[in-house]
Parts: sequence; structure tokens; C-alpha cells
Amino acid sequence: MGIDLRIITFRDIFQYEAGKKSRFSPEFQNLSAQIIMDKDDMVQLGLKDGQNVCLENEMSKIVVKAIQTDDEPHPGLAFMTNSPWSNQLVKDNINDRIIPDFKAILVQASASNESVTNLAELLERLRH
Amino acid sequence: MAVCTGCSLLCEDIEVALKTGAIEKAKNLCRKGQGHFQALFSDRTVPSVEGGETSLDQAIEKAANILMNAKDPLLYGWSNSSLEAQKVGIELAKKLEAKIDDTSSFCQGQLLERVLKGELPSCTLDDVRNFADVSVFWGADPSNSHPRHLSRFSYYPRGSKRQKGYEEERNCVVIDVRKSSTAKLCSDYFRIPPGGDAEFAEAIIAILDGKMPRFGDKKRMIGLASIFKKADFGAIFPGLGLVYSLVQKMEIFENLVARLNDVSNYKVVPMVGHYNMRGFNELMLDETGYINQISFKNGVHHGSENSVTMAAKSSDACLVVGSDPLSALPFVIARSLAKSQLVVIDPRRSLTTDAAKVVIPSAMSGLESGGKAVRMDGVRISFEPIFESNLLSDEEILTRIMEAI
Repeated sequence: MGIDLRIITFRDIFQYEAGKKSRFSPEFQNLSAQIIMDKDDMVQLGLKDGQNVCLENEMSKIVVKAIQTDDEPHPGLAFMTNSPWSNQLVKDNINDRIIPDFKAILVQASASNESVTNLAELLERLRH
Repeated sequence: MAVCTGCSLLCEDIEVALKTGAIEKAKNLCRKGQGHFQALFSDRTVPSVEGGETSLDQAIEKAANILMNAKDPLLYGWSNSSLEAQKVGIELAKKLEAKIDDTSSFCQGQLLERVLKGELPSCTLDDVRNFADVSVFWGADPSNSHPRHLSRFSYYPRGSKRQKGYEEERNCVVIDVRKSSTAKLCSDYFRIPPGGDAEFAEAIIAILDGKMPRFGDKKRMIGLASIFKKADFGAIFPGLGLVYSLVQKMEIFENLVARLNDVSNYKVVPMVGHYNMRGFNELMLDETGYINQISFKNGVHHGSENSVTMAAKSSDACLVVGSDPLSALPFVIARSLAKSQLVVIDPRRSLTTDAAKVVIPSAMSGLESGGKAVRMDGVRISFEPIFESNLLSDEEILTRIMEAI
């Protein structure tokens, strides 16, 4: 069973630093391929902190790590750093708006036993 | 002292000492700047054509060939290049009758255009440090995006008229959809629902007009309007959260700023990310009357069809300078770029260089090559190279491509 989430992308200095050093490093992948979720949303999906979650919409499907936030409750809202992972899910039907919906990514989230989508797989998708 | 080109604050007080392949000691570098400097030592590009290493001359020749023979070329990037390189890039676009665009198209372009055209009042960050008693970060999180913003300019420093700093004389307001790192530091945090920026702005306008707000906690909203009214000098720093939320309703923000200026003195400084995005936008405005999204085919034409997000799908060749759109753009757009005749000038390996037909390595701007850039507030900053390098600058590479064409 899944739940609907709205993902908002944000900037994180640690992920940025890792990406500056190398886009191809495990550190950059670890800090990019994760989603910060509300505690109750994670309970609903049967997820514990650090377990894998599948995010899917009409654009793509990725598996990332779910991170439980200690922030104030925000059910239905989740946060990802801007990265090749979040960009898999951003719609391209921008028409006159020009700016893609980087902060309004609608997905279906579900618990997953699959491994985290890695950068090599994303590069392969870009080539085909 | 060196200038850090890691973001559009262009911090001029950096001291670094190197040992082989690493930074031995650094003073005044933030974490972002540290990553920027460390980038000197990893994932550097080499000249390549179709994935095979080649000479620089051959890579430049192939790049010129691709661009010359393209029917609808797009020249993109620019925000991480010096003004000198940007000028050559615009000349190249004119020569090729190409489309040209930069990151501002899906970043701060909408707001910056209004600032550059005088439609929104603005000021320098030095004015903020010296005079501002209210700083508003709206959909912006400088602790992550511009780490020294608060300490150098907007919250913590002593300014000529603000000797008591944040303890007594400065209010810092954060309006955001989440409790960001900056929100945790500042004096007032207002959480809004996603897309609630327009209603929030309208509620403040209503209070200033003597009406009750229809949004948020009424008492807190009235308290905020009171802070705004009492300010001697207010500075608003809009981030991408505000820009994306008000993308087709920016007049609401303009109305708010105008209304705040009826009761006090407010300026707007968009939180430009890349170190010289504003420089490119200023050059384009001087050259074409627009800040981005230009086609030079049979004259000067402006429109969203020339933006990278749309032109990526129609252009048959793309020159990318100092940018990684395959990481930063939606997958479908990135894939279109990856399938085009992609030429990349970049000092470092990225998803975009990995997909490129031609890669031309360049000196890291600000570290291995000098030039000028425009800070987020419009102040021009000159910088000298701080590390020796045999690599050509963006400007030199673009000039050689021009000559080859």
C-alpha cells in the first residue's frame, strides 16, 4: 500500500559540498538519494528510519532512503535535495511557465525491498 | 586575499595555503567554499571527442565544427563564467545566430529582471550591513545556500548604523514551508503551506491597509506587520521558494514591496545562486533589452521557446559552459540534451561531460583564471587566479572556437 506525497526540493550544504568534490562519489549519492519524511507518513508505510522507499509517478520510478524528520509534523509533505534523483520525478510539461515544478513533485510512495537507485542506472536512463 | 567564486556572495577575504593536492590551511572559507576549492583536486576533465581522449586543438576544432553545422544551436550555462567569457559567449551566439540562455531561466530570473529594470527597489549588501534593521528571508535558506550571508551582511555583523547587531538592533524573519537551518537561527519564523506565499503577502498588505488578515495566526501576522512598519531599513531576500511559488503571480510580491515602501524603506536583493549569474543577465540586458532566453536568428528575439527548458528539446546542438544541466534539470529535458550534439566546456567531470560528444577542459574560474563578476547585489568584483595552471580560461576557449568558426 502506498501514500501520496508532495516532494519539495531544497538545498543542503553537505550534499552540495559532496557534489562539488565529485558527482560520482558514494557520499553525493547517499546525500542525494534520500527523502526526508514525516514520522506519521513513515509509520503508515511501515518504514523505519533509513529503510528504502519507492517513489513513483508518470515520469519515473526511483528507490531512495527514507529519513525521519525531527522537525514539526508535515504529513503528506516530504523533502529531497535537488539532484539527479529528484529530477527523475519532475514533470517536463512546463508550457509557458518555463520553470519546472521542482517544488511540487507529486508521487506515490511505498515501502521497497529494492536497492537504492544508483547513479550508473540514472546515467543509463539518460542515454536511452 | 583571494575571492571565492563558490557562490554569488563572492567573499573577498579568503586566505588559503596549499600542499600537494590539498588545501593545507584556509581562513574564512565556508563549507560551500571549501567544497569549491577542493574541487580543484578531483574529477578534472580532459579533452575528449566521442568519449576518446584527444588533444585540446582537436576538441576545439570538433566543437567549432558541430556548432557551425548545427541548424538550431543553443548556448547555455554562463553563470559560472567571468564577465569577459560571457561577453565572448554572447558574441559567439550572435555569430552562430543561436539561442542563448542561462540558469536564471529557472532560477531568480523573474525577480532579477525586475530589479535590473528598476521595477523593484534594491540596494547593496553593504547597505544591508550598515543600515538594515529587518532582514527577511522568504523561501530562502542562506545557511545552506549562502553560508556567510548572515555573518557578513544581514544579521550578525556590526554596521555603521547598526553597532549592536542581532542582539538588539536587527530582526531576522524567515518565511518558509519548513523549519530550515536559517529559521532555527533567526528571531521570527513563519511557516506557510506550500504555495501559500501569495496569501501570506496579501495578508500583510491587508494588515497594512488596516484590515484583518485572512491567513495564518492573526496575532502573529499583525505582530509581523508591526515589525515591518517600525523598520528604518528593511531588506527582503527572496529565494527559490518564493520565486517558484509566485511564478505567474509576481505582481503580488511587487504590490507588497510597494506597500511596505509606503510605510517604511524596503529593498529587495534576490538570492542569486551562481557566482556570476547576475553578470550574464546584466550583459544580456545591455545587449538585447532582455536578461535571458534570446534567439539571434535573423535579429533579436526573446521568448520562452529560447529557454533551456524548452530549447533543449528542439535544438540539434548545445554548447554548455560551466554548468551541469543533466544533473539540474528534469530527466526528460536532460535526456533531450544528452541526445543532442553536446559540447561542454568545463573544468570538472559531471553527468553532462559524461554524455557530451566533445569535452573541453577549462581553468576553474576564480581559482585558476581571473576576471570580473557581479555579486548578487550588483557590486562588481575583480579576481585574480590564485593557483597556477596551464589550462585555458572559458574566455580563451570561446575565443578560439569563434576564430575556428
